[in-house]
Parts: sequence; C-alpha cells; structure tokens
Amino acid sequence: MAEPTTTEFALEVRNLSRTFGARKALDGVSFDLPTGAFLSIFGPNGAGKTTLLKVLSTLTTPSKGTASVLGLDVVEDAVALRERIGFISHNPLLYPDLTAEENLEFFADLYCIDNPNVRVKELLTAVELNHRKLDAVRTFSRGMIQRLSIARALLHDPDVIFLDEPYSGLDPHAMDILDSLIASVRADHTFVMISHDLQKGLELCSHALILAKGKIVLFEEREEIDPNAFAATYRATVGLGVS
Amino acid sequence: MAEKKQSIHISGMRQFKAILKKDIVMELRTKEMLTSMGLYALLVLVIYYVALSQAGSGFDVTRIAGGLLWLAIVFTSLLGLNRSLVHEKDQGCLDALLLAPVDRPVIFFGKAMGNLLFLVIVEVLVTPLFMLIFNAGKYAGIATAGWLAIVLLVGSIGIAGVGTLLATMSVNTTGKDFVLAVLFIPVMFPLLLATVAATSAILTQHPDMAVYWKMVGVSGAYDAIMLSAAFALYEFVLGA
Amino acid sequence: MKQIRIALWMAIVGGVMTTVAFLMAFFTSEVQLFGTVTLPKQITTAFPLLSGDAASGFMYGRPWFSQKIFYFHVPFAEASFLVFTVAAYFAIRFLMTRKKEYDTKTRVAMEVALVFVILTLISGDLWTKASWGVWWEWEPRLTTYFIMTLLMVAYFVLRNSLEDEERRAIYSAVFGIIAWIDAPISFFITRLIPSDHPIVFKSGMATSNLVPFIVAQVGMLLIGYAVYVVRLREERMRERLEVIKESLEG
Repeated sequence: MAEPTTTEFALEVRNLSRTFGARKALDGVSFDLPTGAFLSIFGPNGAGKTTLLKVLSTLTTPSKGTASVLGLDVVEDAVALRERIGFISHNPLLYPDLTAEENLEFFADLYCIDNPNVRVKELLTAVELNHRKLDAVRTFSRGMIQRLSIARALLHDPDVIFLDEPYSGLDPHAMDILDSLIASVRADHTFVMISHDLQKGLELCSHALILAKGKIVLFEEREEIDPNAFAATYRATVGLGVS
Repeated sequence: MAEKKQSIHISGMRQFKAILKKDIVMELRTKEMLTSMGLYALLVLVIYYVALSQAGSGFDVTRIAGGLLWLAIVFTSLLGLNRSLVHEKDQGCLDALLLAPVDRPVIFFGKAMGNLLFLVIVEVLVTPLFMLIFNAGKYAGIATAGWLAIVLLVGSIGIAGVGTLLATMSVNTTGKDFVLAVLFIPVMFPLLLATVAATSAILTQHPDMAVYWKMVGVSGAYDAIMLSAAFALYEFVLGA
Repeated sequence: MKQIRIALWMAIVGGVMTTVAFLMAFFTSEVQLFGTVTLPKQITTAFPLLSGDAASGFMYGRPWFSQKIFYFHVPFAEASFLVFTVAAYFAIRFLMTRKKEYDTKTRVAMEVALVFVILTLISGDLWTKASWGVWWEWEPRLTTYFIMTLLMVAYFVLRNSLEDEERRAIYSAVFGIIAWIDAPISFFITRLIPSDHPIVFKSGMATSNLVPFIVAQVGMLLIGYAVYVVRLREERMRERLEVIKESLEG
C-alpha cells in the first residue's frame, strides 16, 4: 500500500462530505486534480476550505465519500500518505523556544530521515537561514519564520504541498521571498493552496476552485478562466457567505 | 527519487526520543516549567507552615505529612501539565506532529514521559525539603526513603499519564488551567487516597508495611486501568 | 409524538409508584433493626445506644427514621449509576459513529444522572444525620457519590468551555468514559483505605420492606426515563430550530 504510486491524478475526491449533525462543512465535493498542478481554493469564511485541506492532509476524516492523494486513501493509507505531503500554514508550526536547527532536526527525526544533519543544512542554506541556525525561532521576523516553516515542510521531500493562506501577515518583501521559494520547487510538486487573495491565487494556479457552503461552485483550469467573470463569480459567492 | 522514498522507514522509538528530547531541550533553555513548578511548591510549603503554625507542640505532623506532600504534588503537577501542552498548542505545533507519519500512541507516550520526568525532578527537589522543614521524617529510617521513592513514582505515573490526556483537552478550552483542575482532581481522587494512605503508613511512628504494600498495589492497579483508558482514548482527542 | 405520550404515562405511573412506596414505607413496612453502627465518639441522637465504651467505640441501633430514607436513598443511588452507565454507553457509541444524536443522548443522560446523584447525596446526607447524628461523614458510598457529582459537574464545565461543536462532543465523550471508569475505582479505594470511619453492617430485609423498596426503585426509574425522553425531545427540537434559523439567514 505504502509503495510510491505515480498516478495521473494527484488528488481524487469523490462525493466527499464532512458533516456534524445538521452542519455540513463539506457537502458532496468531487474533483480530480492532475499531478503537478497548482490548485487555488477560494471561498468565503466557513465555506469548507480549511476542512477540505484538513481531510486531504489526514488531519481529519471524511464523514462520507472518499479522497485519495497520490493514489493513497486519506483514511486507509493515512500513515503512508503523511510521508509524502508537506503543509505550510499561516501558523508557523514551529517551536519558538528551539533554534532553527533544532526545529528542523526534530522534524527530521519525526519523519525518520536518513542523514538528518546533511538534509537540515541543505534546507537551511536553501532558505538562506544558515547564518541564524543557532538562534531561537522566537527572535525571528515574520518572514524568516515563514521561510523556516517552508524548510520544515520540504524536509522529507514531499510530493504534494498544502498551503493554508501562506501569504497572510507577510510584508511585501517576505511575499517576494515566498514567491521565489514556491517557484523554485514548483516544477516537481503538486500544490493545493487556500487563498483569500484573488489576484495572488489566480497568478500562481493552474486550476481554481471556488467553494461555498461546502459545495463546489466552480472548478476550472486556469486557461479557461476569464479573470473578470471569475472575479464576479467569486464576489457573488463571498456575498453569499455566512457572515 | 523513488529509491529515496523507500529508504524512509518509520521508527517509533526514534520519534518517541525526538519528542522527549525536544521537551527536555526546550526546558533546559527556558527553565520555565521547573522554575514555576519548584517555586509554586515552595509557596505551598510556606502556606503549610502558616496552616500548622497554631497546631501546638503536641501535634504529630507525621500523621498528616503524607497528605500534605501529595497535596503539594497535585497542585504543582497541574501547573506543569498545563504548560507542557500549551507549548504544543501555541504555534499549532500539535498539528505539525499530527501531520508527520507518527503513530498517535507515540505522541501520547512521548508527552506523558516528558511530564513524568519533570514531575519527578520537582519531587526529588521538594520532598527532602518538605521532610526537613516539617520534620516529617522523624520516625523514618534509611529504608523509608526507598519506600517513599516507590510510592512517589507509582503516583506520578498515574498523574502524568491521565494528566496528559486531560491537559490535551483542557488547552483547547476557553478556561485552560481552571478546566484542567476541575477535570483532574476528581479523576485523581482515588489514586491520591491510595498514595496518601501508603505514604502515611511509612511515615508514622509505627510503620505498617502490610498497609503500605496493599496501597501501593492499589495505586498500581489504578495506574494500569486509567492509563489503558487514557491510552485508548488519546487518539480520539488528537483527532478532534 | 407517541414517544412523548409514553413518557407522560411513565411519569404518571412512576409518580404514583413512588408515592405508594413512600406511604408503604411509613404504614406497611415493619420497623426493623438493620444492624448496628459503631462510631468512634459518643454522639447525641434520639436513638438507642446499645453498648460500648470509649475504647471499643459506641454502638448504636440503626434507627427507624433512617430506614424510611433508605427506601429512597438506595433507589436514587442505583438509578443514578444505571443512568451514568447509559451515558457512558452513548459516549462510546458516539466515538464509534461520530453521529451527533449520540452526543445529545450522552448529555441528556448525564443530566438525568446528575439529578439522581444530587438526590442521592441529599437523601444520604439526611440519612447520616438521622443515623449517626452528623451532617456529613466521609463514608465510602457517600464519598463516591460526592466525587461522582464533581465528575459530572466537570463534564458540563468541559462542555461549556468548548466552542467547536464537534470537538466539544468528542472531548466530553472521552471525559464521560474516563469519569465512568473512575467512579467504581473511587468506591473500591475509599473502602480499602485504612480509616476510622463507621462501616455499616448490612443484614437481610423482610418482605414487607422489600416491597416498598422495589416499588420505589421501579417508580424512580420510570420517572427518570420519562425525564430523559422529554429532555431529549426538547433538545432535538432546539437543534432543528437552529437549523431552520441558519437556513433562513443564508
């Protein structure tokens, strides 16, 4: 089961629902995303974006329907799947009292990576934090923390990277760095990103998805999207949202 | 790339050590938990002095020493448990643990072992001090120290194990430490009764080893039952 | 609707049975000396001091008034533990299925159990006063029920301090199960620890006493079930109302 699979579709989501009582966070979501694509998910607050990301990253389980990432079922093959996904959130997911190096070493141990020292050094250099590796993360700026959290997410060389509003709270300079980091690994990874920023999300994506009230309003490839019509749909959807 | 993937093999032991080591390194750096727990224990001892200041010279402290000692431990452990899980919650680190290919029991044992370790360190510092200040060891021989260590360890295992489960829930509530106390104390009640009985049995003028071993056994049974329950339920708590 | 009608009938029958048991306790059951109680110190009580001295403890006959309370105290206690068990069962069902209805059932059962536990405590307290002349004794059973009350209160404190509905349901189910396991352990350990507290010796019961006891027990369970059904229905309607409200807002 855990054997690496090369499938045409990185994500296969079938009639996915996540309900609790009468509340429907996700309501019959189905779509396929080709391997190597960049999916941007848009939608108002409470539309189910975060829930969808949590199901795909095995943090929570679906109530109905199935979802698989890289051909691995999010429930059945959760442990195998976790080795192949990375997660970057607006929350750093780092221990502020540990140094940059210690943080990465800790996660290297969790992922049971061979030669952790080499890999950690490689990544610290890649995100240009090698000179600060002995400083506690607490002393880092927002942009540096975000860079380190990207290094954390790439540590085990995942095939699919989930991004949960990675740009929120970043200054323009930090945004540029994040852009270039994403660009540098864009080629051989599949991305799934939640975004509130319509422009940014559309700029990066190869596929776009709008969710509202747990249902798919729109799922299109980038080339087919007319930016103005898309913006109108998005605004109409957000207007619908639960305040 | 494919070969590289296959070389990954998950070792629960390595992950367990990593979680434990991370907690120790963090503590060595900030000394936050040990100082706050130690200081709190000292303050409790001062309060005990005030409470007993009018007890008179005929009062034999060894009759209640077991109770006083465990009271200090319970309140101190509440502080440590809350801190330990707040660290995981603060920057969403618990999610990062859950995203990694870690079996959920490894997380439970890693956190519980860290909590046990810090609790034991505080006990090692505070118990001799307590005995000294209140002269609670006046009937005790050298062997008593060993008996005391056993009952302290058995009690601490229960506190750390069940406490880790309850603290993982309480850090997600609005009233963190208050909620932890409300959940923790009634659940701990039977264990404390047994450990206090065992401790008193060896500290009083006429030590009763039969009672001591019976009560240590009862505490051990509590640990076995409640730790199994906590262990089985932890996965549900993490998944919430 | 049918369920409500049944619940109503159960409440009426239960009420009648409990009242009958109350009357029987005073008029038909024979006054029986259940046993004796030994207290470490002499106390002022309306009831006969049988024998004893300061060294061996003071022995009291178990008096008749406490016997009347017994018909209600013990059924309360048994009903509360039964309902607590039902709550724990629903908590396990919830964790297995993740269906919200089981969460609601757990909570409502826990409410009913809490009411019974509090009634047990009050009647037990009256009993210690009548029997032993003190308002409170850390007697194993009474202590256990005191801890059970605290555990159930803790269950509701936990619920109220969680915002997210699903997380609240999972955490409270977990705590409900832990509490249910903890309660019997409390009972055994309070009995096992060395203590000076009185232990009540139990003896058999005459038929004339057994009848009101059983009638009271069944009556209370009927009332308890009726309350459970009505509360559950109320909760369901409230939940349905929330859904309607939400869809109107949307």
